[in-house]
Amino acid sequence: MRWFRFLLMLSLGAALGLIYGWMVNPVKYVDTPPAALRVDYKSDYVLMVAEAYQAEGDLELAARRLALLGDRPPAELVREAMVWGSQAPYPEGDMDLLTRLASDLQTWNSLPGAPAPGETRP
Amino acid sequence: MKDARGSWYLLTGLVLGLAFGLVFAWVISPRAYGDTSPAFLRADFKDRYRAMIAVSFAANGNLPRAQARLNLLGDPDNTMAVAEQAQRAVADGSSPQEAQALELLAAALGEGTTPLPVTQEASGSAPQPSATPSRPALVVSPEVLPTDSPAAVVIVATDPPDAGSSPTTGTPASGAVRTGAVTATPLATRTPTPTPGAPFILEESTFICDRDLGQPLIQVLTQDSAGEPVPGVEVVVIWEGGEDHFFTGLKPELGLGYADFSMAPGTVYSLRLAAGGQPVPDLASAECETESGSRYWGSWLLVFTQP
Repeated sequence: MRWFRFLLMLSLGAALGLIYGWMVNPVKYVDTPPAALRVDYKSDYVLMVAEAYQAEGDLELAARRLALLGDRPPAELVREAMVWGSQAPYPEGDMDLLTRLASDLQTWNSLPGAPAPGETRP
Repeated sequence: MKDARGSWYLLTGLVLGLAFGLVFAWVISPRAYGDTSPAFLRADFKDRYRAMIAVSFAANGNLPRAQARLNLLGDPDNTMAVAEQAQRAVADGSSPQEAQALELLAAALGEGTTPLPVTQEASGSAPQPSATPSRPALVVSPEVLPTDSPAAVVIVATDPPDAGSSPTTGTPASGAVRTGAVTATPLATRTPTPTPGAPFILEESTFICDRDLGQPLIQVLTQDSAGEPVPGVEVVVIWEGGEDHFFTGLKPELGLGYADFSMAPGTVYSLRLAAGGQPVPDLASAECETESGSRYWGSWLLVFTQP
């Protein structure tokens, strides 16, 4: 009986510790890279790139900007943003921008000689 | 027989469990790394993120959205943060496009106005109109005005096709480039100045003794004919063996038409606005003296006005 109570209190303490450490006062990361951003922030960044691309029409520049989010292919990042945008949901105009960027990146990636994301041309 | 240990063992269990829970939550398996917000980005990544906000703002002119995005970065003062980065970007010179976008955003934040979205005809690409344009878009033609300014642009507001056309001219702005190349990112505002594009004339040139300034400065104020400050005006300072460019409006806390330049004592400067107009020669610092006899460097205040 004594051990049972002890283990009960041990479990209660562990549960309280986990709640506090995960929810009330979780570890805060500082000096993080953009790849560690939460999906909604990443998606908003991708939307910014799409907005700029709509005005500038520079696909290589857009890909370089997307490379800030990590090593993943730019088209994949945009697709992920589109998935999030459809859940959020983003306004139709924003989704159109993402769709256009994704479509153009898809074509661009298939072009021979197109530089990889983050690669700079000489 | 009563147990002498009482209920301490329960408290011991609770404390041990709590310690284990905290160690597990903070060290062994902390919250997922991929759930951070832009406020915790490294400083250089924050700059990239902020520049992207500015570029996006230059493209769509949506100031509330830009402000909401800037708030995510957790800066104490968004306007200051953008203005400081704009200054660094201009000084750096590596990305004139981003520098101009940051200037545009800094000016808009300071002014609280929303510029019209800007598209570039000069880029060789064909920017497509938004599917649902909410307001007329600005089309920037890299048409060099009959001035010496290499970066003068004409801004024409065009309505959507079904809304008719009523072109109006806006305020041309100089480019934040050191190369002198023609660029097409204007500083557009919804409220055109009374005399858009008119050259500035030197209205006032005053040597001031103000100990609070801390260092000898050339202070420049640009204003339109109504006395309203004009941001984004490029100022050129030349001295023997050197030249520098800076812009009004990058210190919005001191006024949207304000800019300053630190003088080195003993050096003689000449100042002019990049868009042309009257040059101001022989600007040099001189000593001022307080009543107690202590000395400090004085500054120049130059006020340029559009007629």
